[in-house]
Amino acid sequence: MFRFRLEGSSGVPPYLQLVHQVRQALLLGYLREGDRLPTVKDVAADLVINPNTVVKAYRQLEHEGLTGGRPGQGTFITATSSPVPPEAHQDLRASLEAWLRAAGEAGLDDEAVTALIAVARQDLKQDLKKERV
Amino acid sequence: MTWVTWRQHRTQAMACLALLAALAVYAIIEGTSMRTAFSNDNLAGCLARSQGTGCPAAVSDFTGAFGSAVNIAFWSVCLIIPGLIGVLVGGSLVARELEYGTWRLAWSQTVPRTRWLGVKLALVTGGLIAVGAAMTAVITWYRAPMDRVVGHLYQNVYDYEGLVLTAYILCAFGFAVLAGLLIRRSIPAMIAAFIPWLAIRLVIEFVFRDHFMAPLTTTTGTCVQNSPQVHCGTGIGVVPPDTGHIGDLVLSMNGNLVTYQPASRFWPFQFIEAGIFVALTAAALGATIWLLHRRAAWTA
Amino acid sequence: MTQDAYGSVPALRTDRLGRRYGKVWGLRDCTLEVPAGAVAAVVGPNGAGKTTLLEMIIGLLEPTEGRVDVFGQTSRADTARSLGRVGYVAQDHPLYRDFTVADMFHLGRAMNPSWDQNLADARMDALSIPVNRKIRRLSGGQQAQVSLTMALAKRAPLLVLDEPVSSLDPVARLDFMRDVMAIAADQALTFLISSHVVAELERYCDWLIILSAGHVQLAGPADELLAAHQLLTVPRATPDADLPGTVIQRTDSDRHSTVLVRAGADQFAGYGRPSWQADPVSFEQLIMAYLQRRPSPRSYDNPAPAAERPGTPAKEVTR
Repeated sequence: MFRFRLEGSSGVPPYLQLVHQVRQALLLGYLREGDRLPTVKDVAADLVINPNTVVKAYRQLEHEGLTGGRPGQGTFITATSSPVPPEAHQDLRASLEAWLRAAGEAGLDDEAVTALIAVARQDLKQDLKKERV
Repeated sequence: MTWVTWRQHRTQAMACLALLAALAVYAIIEGTSMRTAFSNDNLAGCLARSQGTGCPAAVSDFTGAFGSAVNIAFWSVCLIIPGLIGVLVGGSLVARELEYGTWRLAWSQTVPRTRWLGVKLALVTGGLIAVGAAMTAVITWYRAPMDRVVGHLYQNVYDYEGLVLTAYILCAFGFAVLAGLLIRRSIPAMIAAFIPWLAIRLVIEFVFRDHFMAPLTTTTGTCVQNSPQVHCGTGIGVVPPDTGHIGDLVLSMNGNLVTYQPASRFWPFQFIEAGIFVALTAAALGATIWLLHRRAAWTA
Repeated sequence: MTQDAYGSVPALRTDRLGRRYGKVWGLRDCTLEVPAGAVAAVVGPNGAGKTTLLEMIIGLLEPTEGRVDVFGQTSRADTARSLGRVGYVAQDHPLYRDFTVADMFHLGRAMNPSWDQNLADARMDALSIPVNRKIRRLSGGQQAQVSLTMALAKRAPLLVLDEPVSSLDPVARLDFMRDVMAIAADQALTFLISSHVVAELERYCDWLIILSAGHVQLAGPADELLAAHQLLTVPRATPDADLPGTVIQRTDSDRHSTVLVRAGADQFAGYGRPSWQADPVSFEQLIMAYLQRRPSPRSYDNPAPAAERPGTPAKEVTR
């Protein structure tokens, strides 16, 4: 049975944490097609969280096409892998490793790298918003 | 609510039963020996014929043997026992709930609080009436031979026969329930109820009781000390009293004018005095119910 | 129980509810709504009016003004009809310490026509609490569970818990809330939980009510309220007037200020400045900010009533 966990101080809303954990488990192969996710009640009792949160997460996963529900039987994984094809994954992985090596040589430590990524992501989001408006 | 009331007062009920049992044991022991002495001395016939004038020695033997038991045991201790029973049962009835916060539990069930209180008061009052009646019955039975010799209009007998014992218990109970609601703490409520109860009790007994109805007067022979025919003395325990009837309560003697209450007034007096205390009980309990209904905020 | 199970009749609706104690108003001008099936938290410091509000909902206290409706029916204090609709666990879960657990359930049976003895027995079984043990010999956590069972076995659709975990140790606390969450998942019950401990509230509640100084400061669905607030990092010199929405809390440093603002998503879009940073606010930060600011003398009206909720943005505050 797949067990979720909750990070209280991460700043990420609980339901998103659950969604991320399923996505990540799928990527890493810990969840496969046909696996049954625990019931809403089990997750709510296990993590001691509001069952509505679990419902919301499960609904989000269904919306993303990762899971499907069979009435009376539970929620099941319907997708095997992420929407990103494996070759794109490998290419991105390779360019990322090259960038990390360059950053390390330039003198950035782990914290600086993380901060730089966060700022760049934020700026990109704002730019994208502006593009949409 | 019946079960709830019973369960919450179960210990008190058991204690009352134990008290009654102890009283009954004492009564049986003393009462039996009293009856034996009474029939041995052949007092029944003598009293009927001559109101005791014909057997003064037997009478004084009898009263000497058993009189002191009546006076000491009953008078000093038992005066307060009805009051104690009443305040111990009533003081915690409402106060305990407020003291421990259980009112939040008791009054949020599907029973409005006035109904909760009404049922409780009705049942506990009924129980106290039963206790009072039982105590009265036991004491009356035990006292029967002595009552035939000296009557029962005098204070430390009158207090335990008839109706007043039950009425005393109820009044103390009523005061304590009301005090409990106002003060919200059990022990202080018991004390705050006991003091006025005792005060009223003593005032009625010593100031008003002798005059519930206008006393009668009669003339008698000149009072001479140690005379077998005419005695000087108030109260009872004097056989035969100067009025000529057993059980008359002599209030005062002025020369040869005797002021007294006749023995036949025992029951009217009992009704008057019991009526006073029952009215006080009703007022206290009525006030409690009314106040509970009115005050909808509790920050105990 | 799902978000859709927010039925059309709200579990709770108050209309300008108020209660005065002598000259002091314990609660004033309280207008709010909690939908059926929600787990609502009432937050505020001690003395904020939480217990006053809860007692009026339960029927233990009569309002001085306004009214409270439970599942569409106006509550009248101290009537069997109103008392029977709400299950209640008071602060410190009072029980008769001399009673056994079985005695407490007997009391429940005697005083509640809707009592479900099977539920009570099943819960004691599941929690391994012996029913013949006296209450005073149970642990604090077990006593809390018995209190909760008393409220549940009453089979009322609305359950009010007043600081249910304040007096419990951390393990008992977790076990208690675990139970509440499992029950919430199983049954179509509405929970109203008051707390002055803010940490971890985010896990439990999907509806939030913030009380301070006898007035409602904020009320509504938790995720919508979170979405309606942002934590802006702006240059120190930026005046409040330039900021979107309403400033809730502002902290000034030498060169920058951190400002918690309340505004609709559309208002944020138009304010993008390069030197500004916008971050989502955490549940705890949100609550603390509202509790720390000077309490508003007028209550914040609940955003869109249940019937209109899907899709409509939060209603603007009228002051």
